[in-house]
Amino acid sequence: MEMIRRLVLRNRHSVMAATLIAYILAVVVEGAATGREMRTIDLDNPFFDLNIRDFDEWRERRDDDF
Amino acid sequence: MFNFRIMQFYALLKREVLEHMTMFLFAPLVLAAVILLAVIWVMNLLTDDDLAVIIEYAATLFNGLSPTEMAPIFMLLAIPFLVVLLVCTLAFLLNTLFQDRKDASVLFWQSMPVSNLQTVLSKIVAIVAIAPALYMGVLLSLYLILVVWLSLLGASYDVEIAGLGYMFMAAAVSLMLVYLSAIVAGLWLLPTLGWLLLFSSYATRAPAMWALGVFFALLFLEDFIFGSQFLVNWIESRSNPAQYVIFSFSDIFDRLFNYDMLFGVLVGSILISGAVVMRRYTD
Repeated sequence: MEMIRRLVLRNRHSVMAATLIAYILAVVVEGAATGREMRTIDLDNPFFDLNIRDFDEWRERRDDDF
Repeated sequence: MFNFRIMQFYALLKREVLEHMTMFLFAPLVLAAVILLAVIWVMNLLTDDDLAVIIEYAATLFNGLSPTEMAPIFMLLAIPFLVVLLVCTLAFLLNTLFQDRKDASVLFWQSMPVSNLQTVLSKIVAIVAIAPALYMGVLLSLYLILVVWLSLLGASYDVEIAGLGYMFMAAAVSLMLVYLSAIVAGLWLLPTLGWLLLFSSYATRAPAMWALGVFFALLFLEDFIFGSQFLVNWIESRSNPAQYVIFSFSDIFDRLFNYDMLFGVLVGSILISGAVVMRRYTD
């Protein structure tokens, strides 16, 4: 315990790192426990399907259209 | 001993108010003066007959109505003051601990019989409870001036003005609701307050850039490395003003004592603890 305390209090950067780790752990553990995690920023939807591998096919299709 | 602690804390709060008089008092006073001038300008454009009709209509509209039921309507009038308060709060939180270190006043305060915890808590109480009280005080004075002025005008035009008293009471109750909303918002947004204070006490320059930069870096790294979005969902779940605005006194208990509020206070306390410990390093 004393070793962790000394490690955390070594300098301002270690205090910042320890605080951020504690913050992230609290949010992630609570999110996982309550099922808060879900993908809100997600581009997968039936009306907008962007797949880079299909780009050539899409370009050919566009050229055909015009 | 307890009284001594209270006196210490009172002195720290007084110091915050005196050091930030521009944000805490002059900013709302200037805004109130601008609004008063705008009202005078608009009323000068109206004819005496129009003015008499408007005063009589307002007095009739509010006459006999319950101030607590009408109060939410008057809460809208406080929006310009809340916007100014928000801007001042952000500036205060980002600069307060940074400035203490920059001008080396942190050394003076550490030589005094006050702890770093007391100092940081005094800053939080000053911005969450004292600043909104001063803003509401200025707004109450503005309402009082306007109602007295309208009453004198109404009396000079010989119209019924009894309803203006009800209007003023509704406005005063709305200020209480706005003040309570500001305090609840301060507690609800305690993680944001803690985040800004943490980087204010950490950064050697440009604390705003540090606070924003690390914030976006963490969001990006979480998604990039772990493919999860716990942080962004946590922030998204706390960014709806409906979660802390109070429209009725009966809402207070529900707003203060719920799981999300208490967990937010816990997370905010982690970040504030970091800011308190960070004050040890004065370099």
